[in-house]
Amino acid sequence: MERPLSPFMFPTWYRFQITSVLSILHRLTGIALAAGSILLAWWLVAVAAGGEVFAATHAFIVSPIGLLLLFGWSVAFFYHLCSGIRHLAWDAGYGFQIRDAYRSGYAVLAATALLTVLAWLYVVLV
Amino acid sequence: MPDPRSLSNSTALRDESVLRRVRHLGSARDGLQEWRLQRWTALALIPLGLYFAASMLRLATSDQTTAAAWLASPVPALLTILFVLAALAHAVVGLRSVLVDYVHARARLVAAALLVRAAAMILAGASVLAVLKLFLGR
Repeated sequence: MERPLSPFMFPTWYRFQITSVLSILHRLTGIALAAGSILLAWWLVAVAAGGEVFAATHAFIVSPIGLLLLFGWSVAFFYHLCSGIRHLAWDAGYGFQIRDAYRSGYAVLAATALLTVLAWLYVVLV
Repeated sequence: MPDPRSLSNSTALRDESVLRRVRHLGSARDGLQEWRLQRWTALALIPLGLYFAASMLRLATSDQTTAAAWLASPVPALLTILFVLAALAHAVVGLRSVLVDYVHARARLVAAALLVRAAAMILAGASVLAVLKLFLGR
């Protein structure tokens, strides 16, 4: 008999809960940030090269897609940072009660939103 | 009473751990290093990342002169290099743990993990060279 495997459970049988969603998000943002390191290296090389290379890079960054990527990078970064601190606390043996895990999960989401808003306020206003 | 360790060394074929190793079962005994690297880089990336993100979000849209001047000053240059190296080391361990979960053929896993490492080294080299060029050439 074919037994249903994990991905097929998702749309119908599996009820999402914040703990598993945050765990998946930690991985996804980690992968996204790793991909983002290509863009970071590209930007550093472009600044060092200057001239046309930098002009093209700059044009891409200030384009709607570039700004969206930059915003996405900031959200992914702040999420992975906050969620990573939660993981470090677990590694140190804290926060394993279900109640604590839920609380720290919501705290991570709140901190991500707060840091993202603060960072962009700083960029736009200061 | 002979030392059990020396006995097992001299009769290696009977050593349980040797048999286990031959059969590729049990602990590889070196996984902890990777685990530690992941955690130490994570700790380092908390301050480095906050500093870098705060600086980078402003600089990303700035002109070349501003960005070059920032990367040419000692503290930003040093912290940028440290951030890039810690982030890429962190990424290599993290991506490998994702690959281990989803790539089940041994050959493909080794190839993919090597590819990730090679890419990280190229990115690290390019980033460090770029910052050094700006820092030394000011």
